[in-house]
Amino acid sequence: MTQKNRIKGGLIDRSKEIKFRFNDKWFRGHPGDTLASALLANGQLLMGRSFKYHRPRGVFTDGSEEPNALVHLRDGAYQEPNTRATMVELFEGLNATSQNHRGTLEYDLLAVNDFFSPFLSAGFYYKTFMWPKAFWEKLYEPVIRSAAGLGRLSMKDDPDTYDKGFLHCDLLVIGAGPSGLMAALTAARSGARVILADEDFRPGGRLNCETLELGGMSGTDWAAQTADELASMDNVRLMPRTTVYGAYDHGIYGALERCTDHLADGGDKPRQILWRIYSRRAVLAAGATERPIAFGNNDRPGIMLAGAVRSYANRYAATPGKHVAVFTNNDDGWRTAADLVAKGIEVPVVVDSRDTPAPIDLPGVRHVAGEAVMNTIGRKGVKSITLTNGKVIPVDALAVSGGWNPNVHLTCHQRGRPTWRDDLCAFVPGGDLPVGMAVAGAANGAMTLAAALAEGQAQATAQLDALGIKAKATDLPQAEDEPRGAAAFWHVKQSKHRAWVDLQNDVTVKDIKLANTEGFRSVELLKRYTTMGMATDQGKTSNIAGLAILAEERGKTIPEVGTTIFRPPYTPVPIGALAGRARGKDFRPYRLTPSHKWAEQNGASFVTVGNWLRAEWYTRPGEQGWRDSVDREALTARTSVGICDVTTLGKIDIQGKDAGAFLDKVYANTFSTLKVGRVRYGLMLREDGICYDDGTTARLDENHFVMTTTTANAVTVFRRLEFARQCLWPDMDVHLISTTDGWAQFAVAGPKSRDLLRKVIDAEHDLSNEAFPFMACGHVTVCGGKPARLFRISFSGEMAYEIAVPARFGNSMMAVLNEAGAEFDAAPYGTEALGVMRIEKGHCTGNELNGQTTAHNIRLGKMVSQKKECIGQVLAQRPEMVREDAVRLVGFRPVDRDKKLIAGSHFLNKQAPADMEHDQGWMTSAAYSPNLGHHIGLGFIKSGHERMGEIVRAVSPVHGTEMEVEIVSAHFVDPEGERLRG
Amino acid sequence: MADFTLIAEPPLKGVDHNFGDTRLYAPDDLAIVSIALPLGAEDATLQAVKSGFGADLPAPGQSVMGNDDTRLVRLGPDQAFAIFTRATPDAEPHVQSLLKGAAYTTDQTDVWTGLMLDGPLARTALERICPIDLHPDAFAEGAAARTVMEHLGVLIIRTGPDAFLLLSASSSAGSFLHAVETSLVNVT
Repeated sequence: MTQKNRIKGGLIDRSKEIKFRFNDKWFRGHPGDTLASALLANGQLLMGRSFKYHRPRGVFTDGSEEPNALVHLRDGAYQEPNTRATMVELFEGLNATSQNHRGTLEYDLLAVNDFFSPFLSAGFYYKTFMWPKAFWEKLYEPVIRSAAGLGRLSMKDDPDTYDKGFLHCDLLVIGAGPSGLMAALTAARSGARVILADEDFRPGGRLNCETLELGGMSGTDWAAQTADELASMDNVRLMPRTTVYGAYDHGIYGALERCTDHLADGGDKPRQILWRIYSRRAVLAAGATERPIAFGNNDRPGIMLAGAVRSYANRYAATPGKHVAVFTNNDDGWRTAADLVAKGIEVPVVVDSRDTPAPIDLPGVRHVAGEAVMNTIGRKGVKSITLTNGKVIPVDALAVSGGWNPNVHLTCHQRGRPTWRDDLCAFVPGGDLPVGMAVAGAANGAMTLAAALAEGQAQATAQLDALGIKAKATDLPQAEDEPRGAAAFWHVKQSKHRAWVDLQNDVTVKDIKLANTEGFRSVELLKRYTTMGMATDQGKTSNIAGLAILAEERGKTIPEVGTTIFRPPYTPVPIGALAGRARGKDFRPYRLTPSHKWAEQNGASFVTVGNWLRAEWYTRPGEQGWRDSVDREALTARTSVGICDVTTLGKIDIQGKDAGAFLDKVYANTFSTLKVGRVRYGLMLREDGICYDDGTTARLDENHFVMTTTTANAVTVFRRLEFARQCLWPDMDVHLISTTDGWAQFAVAGPKSRDLLRKVIDAEHDLSNEAFPFMACGHVTVCGGKPARLFRISFSGEMAYEIAVPARFGNSMMAVLNEAGAEFDAAPYGTEALGVMRIEKGHCTGNELNGQTTAHNIRLGKMVSQKKECIGQVLAQRPEMVREDAVRLVGFRPVDRDKKLIAGSHFLNKQAPADMEHDQGWMTSAAYSPNLGHHIGLGFIKSGHERMGEIVRAVSPVHGTEMEVEIVSAHFVDPEGERLRG
Repeated sequence: MADFTLIAEPPLKGVDHNFGDTRLYAPDDLAIVSIALPLGAEDATLQAVKSGFGADLPAPGQSVMGNDDTRLVRLGPDQAFAIFTRATPDAEPHVQSLLKGAAYTTDQTDVWTGLMLDGPLARTALERICPIDLHPDAFAEGAAARTVMEHLGVLIIRTGPDAFLLLSASSSAGSFLHAVETSLVNVT
């Protein structure tokens, strides 16, 4: 197709041609074009179908506010829906398809909706699909969802990559129009660190769209020259294609940079970057958005905003037609007529709603004053317009200007409320701006070029002043204050036909009136009832007209009716960009134990524990399932020796003269009396007396302890201890540092554990029971002098040790322990066997210390020492916390030994009904015990310690199970603890 | 007794990549020992640091070079790191002997894993993951900060105009390397 609507001039590079596809048809354009401008140049005015009525729609604007020209961009998995054709830079081979139609764009089957429009007014769904109720989920919703909506996702994984980043500056300037450029220039020349971000690929804003002069050169040239100067400065970061989409706390802004979207092949670099910009100060110079006037059939392709028509003509050398009428309520609309005439486009008429003389003298252009356009004809493109005086004028496009709205969006992001300015007929930023933000130029209501430049400079100077940076005097380029007279004229009352207010959501004047009639009179209700201002454009072109019509209906002024405010994001941000790199296995960091490599090589299956990957069991050849491996591992540890990597437990190095006294305060039991070379089990309480964490703490020296925490609480316990030492007891000489990752620690458990360790620990260390009894600890050396720490502690209940070596030796140590253990048939064991053995011994873990249980509940109440003060001690003694009939931790076994116990089951007395009133407690942990040959469980039951031998029911309505269980001691194996002392 | 030998396998051993003129590598045998200043005896400890390392302990957030290429990093009023090169697993007793018992010391060598980022792309790459301002005016040579990159706690030290030493937990070394490497790939 030829570029039949391409005209002279423009900021496109005609020396190069770009081929692109729209709906499988090939077109040509030039570098500098957007998809919208290139389609216009090719005479393709029809670009999409409307949301509800499937009306033919063409491009309406030239920027990010576009409500109509939304396309699917690219193919296959790369396809992105709802891409605004006005924001897509043309590239070779670009492929776009229109969206929201059944059948072709030209012949959309769902256009039938348009004929039913009398039934499809605001609130249609709410009123119509109320009954039968059951039909909603199965029938109505799926049908409506399939018919409605804008673009469609590819339903494939997004193959693009995204990144995030952090930037810092003295002054962030948002928008590179005249005001933003002037602000950035002022700050940059003064030596401040400046970031200038603009959503366009070419800095200059409206300067590139107008024919205004400044400083004796064209606006475009001045913008290019200024941008070049800024780009050459070390203290400036010029960020084109970057939308600052949100203003957050403390001067932090969110920005989306589109890095490769304009390239045919983006390579392997991130497509987009989501920046977090930390600014000390910011100048918002986001410009203004033109608004339409509502009149009958004002949505046809070829009807566009006047400023956009001007922009396509001046910047992109494209026109929607050869005969373009103008309908305006302000002086600015006349500029479109003037610029079109200068480009040789015929302007058959300028219809001005104001009954005033023409602000610009345009020979040969008919001026109809005090009238309006009330209807248009033409299905897939406007063919003629009908004026309120009855005249019908043939046209192939219509430029409409209803005035300009300052882009106040970012000023509202912290609930700032814009205020109404009568002279502009628009909202301007209110006084309550985000901290550190100033607004300049059209965004602040400074609507003329000279005013915008001056304000950009003034706001930058004031912001620098606030930072203690003296602004260098910079001459303002000479510019004019172009005529900007405007009238409040929102919709054409004489129109008999549907008049669109919100093009994206198909909201008409009638819908707004209906909402008001039906009582949805608050602006917030109006928005939700009619959907005005929703979806991808967030009502950038429609909101004010909607408010004006509501105000008119209610007989009030616009400021009395009020306005909805804006939240981030200013324009849509892809979920992919919000996710950044955090996808797949990189969703969050992973932590590996020191023996991970060895475990991988030896059949380990891994389980995630927080960020850790821990071996859950090690499969050996011939084993049919996980139970085979786990049973074998647990039996090996009880009969010979097992080895388990327990590095993940938190380790906190505690030193200082007051370390012992400090531990007395953070633990419920006493540690200051612990002898050097000994370990003690410790229980920590929360302030409210509930159990917080447990572990063992070893005293390596008079002033040196090593605390272990549970894996899950390693970080929180450390944080709590830091808080205690810095804030509660700053007078204590206590110093903390985490060594969790520094030591590879292995449990070596079982009757042969000492024999195994004797082979690894250097001979000078005496491991005999006398020299190194249960709960001993100390420094040793292994494998010929390598430093190690040895602790005789046991979670399994066997004679057991934990041996720690510097983490770098961890993988090797695991191999050595297994090699040395071969003669005893030693086996590595994972978290499952660890769990089985601790249940057999009645030891608590997170299942029991779940944030709801007390020392009294877990039957360690006597550990809460009354001889000293500790965190949680007082509140742990509240009567409710220590009542005799409180739930107590005991063991359970199924009466029918073949039954499997289920953790989470609740206990009920034999004849009691299964309800909360009769609840006796719950099963916290359950496992199959290979040592006992049946399932066992731990759990809390009322007065459990006094009910040994009693049979109760374990009921799980979730699993639909019920069985009889016997209350037994929680110590299933070696209840006297003889083995671990052996 | 059978002879068993332990082999040292630091998680990022041997990592060394170039991205244009920028080099990313894991320094060999990086030893780290924390130094805690006993309450009420700070002056004596500062004196001991000066005699032991030939340098004054700098203010929190700064680092200085002492004897034998030892970098002293002040992390807080009562905490500092000595970072130096030592292959044998006795970094802590070594520092303890230099300080002659004037401070509490803890071996941190294997707690951390280190990456050096050196070259013109270093700052640009770090922009993608490092939330703090690395402009030389804000983070000059010798500056040190504890921050978070890609959910990982990181101690970052500027060791040269374009050079940064990053330290993060050794257990998450794989994620740490991936974070830094991806940043370099994305800006190269």
